[in-house]
Amino acid sequence: MSLGKEKLIPIIALVLLLIGTSSSAYVYSIQSNADSIKVNDQQYTIDQIFFIAEKREFETLDFSGVALDDLIIKAGVGCLKCHKYTIIGSDGYAKTVTWENMQNGLLTKEGLSVFTDLPKAFRVKNVVEIEVI
Amino acid sequence: MDKKRLFIGILVFGSLWGLTECIIGPSISDAGLPSGAIMTGFFAISLMMMSRMLFKQRGMQLGMGLVAGTLRMFNPFGGCVICSAIAIAAEGIIFELIWYKMSLDFIDLKTNTLKLSMGVISGYSCFVGAFIITQILTPLASSAGFYISNLLVFIPQILSRGLLAAIIGGITVPSILVFKNLDINNVKDHIFYPTAVAISMICWFAILINTFMIIGA
Repeated sequence: MSLGKEKLIPIIALVLLLIGTSSSAYVYSIQSNADSIKVNDQQYTIDQIFFIAEKREFETLDFSGVALDDLIIKAGVGCLKCHKYTIIGSDGYAKTVTWENMQNGLLTKEGLSVFTDLPKAFRVKNVVEIEVI
Repeated sequence: MDKKRLFIGILVFGSLWGLTECIIGPSISDAGLPSGAIMTGFFAISLMMMSRMLFKQRGMQLGMGLVAGTLRMFNPFGGCVICSAIAIAAEGIIFELIWYKMSLDFIDLKTNTLKLSMGVISGYSCFVGAFIITQILTPLASSAGFYISNLLVFIPQILSRGLLAAIIGGITVPSILVFKNLDINNVKDHIFYPTAVAISMICWFAILINTFMIIGA
């Protein structure tokens, strides 16, 4: 084995550990709370959202909440099919979906987005924003 | 090495990996622990290291990833199934790439620092690489499509979560390498084949039974 490899492997490992540590510090510093949710640039509390939007239930998945499509309509978005919708979690996890997906989605009281027509990877926890793009 | 023995080795280690992903992974997740980092850093790295150590063959871990990923698809419970299956297969590929230039008898890894470093590199790269690949491929397989902005904004979170996998990997690899003198070629055929096939079958049956039990519950 060359001397280069003996030095290179620990250096790479150290760099990866530094990347992981600094990313953890960065993620911790930008963490936001989910007391309110921004929908189409307007702030709502979770209680307000549950007051204005229609209820929806996915019995087979055992989830209930408000209909995401109705929430968007109540937030005053026009030309619903012209837009995409990015659901953003407090940890920065974001998923962009179509209007058709929103029609099959709900937001639970705990701030979890659930879609019946998309994989579980599209479930965003602690939703802090629904961006209309 | 005899191709038949290698194929059975891939099957048995891939099945064990699949079993841990289907049964232990969701349990760890249900307990509120970081299942992804634990599954990659401990279970995936352990099984891939063991298979490389015993069989001393390149390409084996890629095959194991495919077997385990396929098994994960048979158990459609606990987290995102398609993401897990893609991640498992990706981990096999990434592990192969990382260890490609290393000697198969691990003679390169003379010091504990090198063993620990390879563990950190394997744990971190497998976890982060597989996470990124699933974030690209899963949306592509859905009706919503893939958006690069969704991935970029989440990159710090992925890099952060990889830290635990790196630390666990750093402990796992040196621990497995304690047994590096074991050689599967010393095991006689009449013991190897029935044992390997039986272990694989037990894994597959356990996963199928688990699936039916969850459906029936």
